Amino acid sequence: MALSGMRGLSVFISEVRNCRNKEQERLRVDKELGNIRTRFKNEKGLTPYEKKKYVWKMLYIYMLGYDVDFGHMEAVSLISAPKYPEKQVGYIVTSCLLNENHDFLRLAINAVRNDIIGRNETFQCLALTLVGNIGGREFAESLAPDVQKLLISSSCRPLVRKKAALCLLRLFRKNSDILNVDGWSDRMAQLLDERDLGVLTSSMSLFVALVSNNHEAYWSCLPKCVKVMERLARNQDIPQEYTYYGIPSPWLQVKTMRALQYFPTVEDPSIRRALFEVLQRILMGTDVVKNVNKNNASHAVLFEALALVMHLDSEKEMMSQCVALLGKFIAVREPNIRYLGLENMTRMLMVTDVHEIIKRHQAQIITSLKDPDISIRRRSLDLLYGMCDVSNAKDIVEELLQYLGTADFAMREELALKAAILAEKFAPDLSWYVDVILQLIDKAGDFVSDDIWFRVVQFVTNNEDLQPYAALKAREYLDKPAIHETMVKVSAYLLGEYSHLLARRPGCSPKEIFSIIHEKLPTVSTPTISILLTTYAKILMHSQPPDPELQNQVWAVYSKYESCIDAEIQQRAVEYFALSRKGEALMDILAEMPKFPERQSSLIKKAEDTEADTAEQSAIKLRTQQQASNALVLTDHRPANGAPQVSQLGMIMVPSTSNVDQNVVDQPLTHSNGTLSVVDPQPPAQDHAPAGDILGDLLGPLAIEGPPGVSPQSELNNVPSHEGTLGANDALALAPVGDQESTVKPIGDIAERFHALCLKDSGVLYEDPYIQIGIKAEWRGHQGRMVLFLGNKNTASLDSVQAKILPPSHLKLDLSLVPKIIPPRAQVQCPLEVVNLRPSRDVAVLDFSYKFGTYLVNNRLRLPAVLNKFFQPIQVSAEEFFPQWRSLPGPPLKLQEVVRGVRPMSLGEMANLFNSLKLMVCPGLDPNACNLVASTTFYSENTRAMLCLIRIETDPADRTQLRMTVASGDPTLTFELKEFIKEHLVSIPTAGKPPAPVAQQPQPNIPPIASSDPGALLAGLL
Amino acid sequence: MIRAMIVINNQGKPRLSKFYNYTPVEQQQQLIRSIYSVLCLQPENVSNFIEGGSIWVRQKTYFSDSRLVYKLFATLYFVFVFDSSENELAMFDLIQVYVETLEKCFSNVCELDIVLNYSKIHTILDEMILGGQVVETNSEKVMQAVEEISKLEKVTAATKLISKSTSVLWG
Repeated sequence: MALSGMRGLSVFISEVRNCRNKEQERLRVDKELGNIRTRFKNEKGLTPYEKKKYVWKMLYIYMLGYDVDFGHMEAVSLISAPKYPEKQVGYIVTSCLLNENHDFLRLAINAVRNDIIGRNETFQCLALTLVGNIGGREFAESLAPDVQKLLISSSCRPLVRKKAALCLLRLFRKNSDILNVDGWSDRMAQLLDERDLGVLTSSMSLFVALVSNNHEAYWSCLPKCVKVMERLARNQDIPQEYTYYGIPSPWLQVKTMRALQYFPTVEDPSIRRALFEVLQRILMGTDVVKNVNKNNASHAVLFEALALVMHLDSEKEMMSQCVALLGKFIAVREPNIRYLGLENMTRMLMVTDVHEIIKRHQAQIITSLKDPDISIRRRSLDLLYGMCDVSNAKDIVEELLQYLGTADFAMREELALKAAILAEKFAPDLSWYVDVILQLIDKAGDFVSDDIWFRVVQFVTNNEDLQPYAALKAREYLDKPAIHETMVKVSAYLLGEYSHLLARRPGCSPKEIFSIIHEKLPTVSTPTISILLTTYAKILMHSQPPDPELQNQVWAVYSKYESCIDAEIQQRAVEYFALSRKGEALMDILAEMPKFPERQSSLIKKAEDTEADTAEQSAIKLRTQQQASNALVLTDHRPANGAPQVSQLGMIMVPSTSNVDQNVVDQPLTHSNGTLSVVDPQPPAQDHAPAGDILGDLLGPLAIEGPPGVSPQSELNNVPSHEGTLGANDALALAPVGDQESTVKPIGDIAERFHALCLKDSGVLYEDPYIQIGIKAEWRGHQGRMVLFLGNKNTASLDSVQAKILPPSHLKLDLSLVPKIIPPRAQVQCPLEVVNLRPSRDVAVLDFSYKFGTYLVNNRLRLPAVLNKFFQPIQVSAEEFFPQWRSLPGPPLKLQEVVRGVRPMSLGEMANLFNSLKLMVCPGLDPNACNLVASTTFYSENTRAMLCLIRIETDPADRTQLRMTVASGDPTLTFELKEFIKEHLVSIPTAGKPPAPVAQQPQPNIPPIASSDPGALLAGLL
Repeated sequence: MIRAMIVINNQGKPRLSKFYNYTPVEQQQQLIRSIYSVLCLQPENVSNFIEGGSIWVRQKTYFSDSRLVYKLFATLYFVFVFDSSENELAMFDLIQVYVETLEKCFSNVCELDIVLNYSKIHTILDEMILGGQVVETNSEKVMQAVEEISKLEKVTAATKLISKSTSVLWG
């Protein structure tokens, strides 16, 4: 009992042990700490033995949870003691008390190093143990070479070398540079030949760390590992004392197989064969025996072998053998084996396609869900979750639901979440899904997160067939005497939306629905009351003709909450009260909720998140990723033009809807006229914001990943002509219209005129009550001449006439002088010379202003000097076309794109369009009648004449998409041409083009904009 | 790697604790307490593995991806906390080896031996586990090493020994 030879320590420990309570213990410990502190202070009187004794006492006190920082220095100082016992205490206690970042530890580096390089083996061992336990970066830098030397030295005893291996492992973890990869892999291979099993075991641990960091460098060690396995498992060539209950060092076997799992594969066929032979022997040769310890050891090896087999992804036959083994394990009596069996089966799901074989064990796995052991229950839940698919979802989810009633509280939330996810992912039909979620809420309401009920609401909203069923179910649950608040929420929501679908059933009249929901109100919390208030409004809306009694009841509720302290409730009460007096208009205001945009289930996302911090090998995670596509697909009812968003808004339309309607119908007209485009799109959006907020609020609880209220706003701006934009922004939208009356309105649509002029060479560019601007143009190669005709339509002259050209960088434009005054009824001609420098779709802009009386009119007009003006259509024959086509191999000279959202047109219409763009359609070149080939020559100063070839492949089944290939000898030209054609195909030019440059403002002071592309800039401004 | 080795008695008193990742003392106490609170409720005939997530809800970040294996000998729980790079059953076996080594050392080992030979059980542990890795699994070799150390102690230390018979006084 030499080591315990400290009477003082034993006495102290006994005294602490005899303390009857924590308070006494604290007193005793405090007394001792005081004693130790004073003794340390007068160091002179302290014998080494006493010092040692006190340091041990400190460690004991530390273990009990008391702070002993003051003694760190003493512990560290013992390391440099000359005699063994003090040194030993110093090392052991230091490695328990300090961490690698501790300043005192730095003081000890030298002493530690001296022990490592010294001759005393016992000292070496102590030092290596300390460094192996708490060595940090500084140790790594200063000690690594010495430790390496010890490990590979042939003169050192195994006792030292095995510690050196693990010490090196620690240092390597702190700084991976200490082992030079190239040089070290050979040494490592030598170490794996080691005969001493202690050294070999430690070296194998070191090796695992090295290969996990970089397996590439250690391929040469792979055969050595297989040799070790052969030596242990096949030949059993090891000293007797390293067998553990007859099993040759299970730890070494396990570590070796772990190391092998870091190599992606075993390629060498002979090594692979040898390895599989060993593995086969382990898989087949492991029997269950009576001795528990032997069983554990043999199964430790067996489970590791299973993991290795899975990793190596061997033949199917061996895999099914593994599954069969696991199937056996999950049914044995020994709980540890059951636990590991389930766990490994879950891993197996991840690595190989043995799903079907595993499904055979479903019954047994379900039984494990009722195991007395929570660890096993968890494993089994994980496995069931991972193995669930469409074929067994019903069984599994129903088992989970059943289990939910009795499950541990710690597991319920996870269980509820998993059941909800599985129900969503694999529901054979949606009504079953609704059943499952409602049951979930019913059985474990406390553990059902909001996400779960939001999701069911989304499903019901998006699937009309489901609505009556869900409403009915919700109604049934309300009959139960005590229901969870979440159930109140979800049923109130569903009944508010859909109870009218049940109206004919007994007990489902609006009045009855109201009263059964209202019964719950006194028991619920504030957020739920808000939902109930909305529900009442909806019920009221659906009872047409209004039932005065119901109305009075609901109104009574609203007036009660009008003075509620909660602002949300108060606001709802006040607003719904006012709204519900609107009579039939209520219908429009409180219309049914629109469908939700499809999005990833937040539940699945949540599950992925929670798994992020569990195990790298979480099978579930992998499978959820694989199966994401199996998730129920909601029918996407969202038309491209954003109509549903508008109806979403329709629901929140605030009063006075009907009487503005008329006015607003005018608005699109004025807008397309262009006059309104002065109105910044922002104000209407802002004006919507409060409305959006109400929306966000109602939708708030349902917005799983982002308030759906946000998207409608932006969409709205794109469809300003839609009638749905009325209401909220009417006041503002109408204001400019009023203003416009005092200013000058253009006649006709400016954008339309521009587009017409793109296709022909003469016409009117702009007209208003006072002036008309006409254009006539001639084009020759890369040059052109345009004449602007400015005609005064009035009997008074136009003053301060100004015309400025804002040219894009690719055009050289030269406008002759424009007279300042245009006399009455006169027409002025202004020639404009155009030179095309290079291909570009940018557009030139004419900044034009004049004064008529008190009106100052300013306009920016796009000039039709566009890309196609520099085309010369050319008919090419097959002989010319194909060699050219082939000589342009691919990007950037030849570009291909699938264009979607093409406005539907027949092939003939498309050919006409192309011809009008001066792209000559060449019939007969493409054997496929659905395709179209066109060619043209493009002129610019840079490119000179350049042949362009175009091929369009249409899909007769889907006219809205086509594939377009454009080729030319110039990459910019190819790209610009492709985009140019696309613009004409995709949109209806009058509306889809960037808004016409029609900024008409009462004030003329628009600063001239210097830019390479004023057209684009202008479009940006608008 | 092995993250911690803890011996607790069935009343929740720690008898030995060694953390292979630095853990502040308050956190050590917290962990020991939460481990004990789970262990003392374990029914009989269940598996010896407990998943970290179910124990350290609050220390999740510290011990994520960890598991615990325990074995109850008379009044003492022997506990290893380890991460996914270790084989569960091999860890379980390691407890057995440790206890067998103690048995060889003290013959008929009881809680009291462990309490009163605090320094010795530390030495034995250090001979078996280093920096969270198994360094020796052969209890014979461990014993040899420990005896060598004892001899060294004897040479230098002139101290009284505590025999088993006297220690009964405190039992």
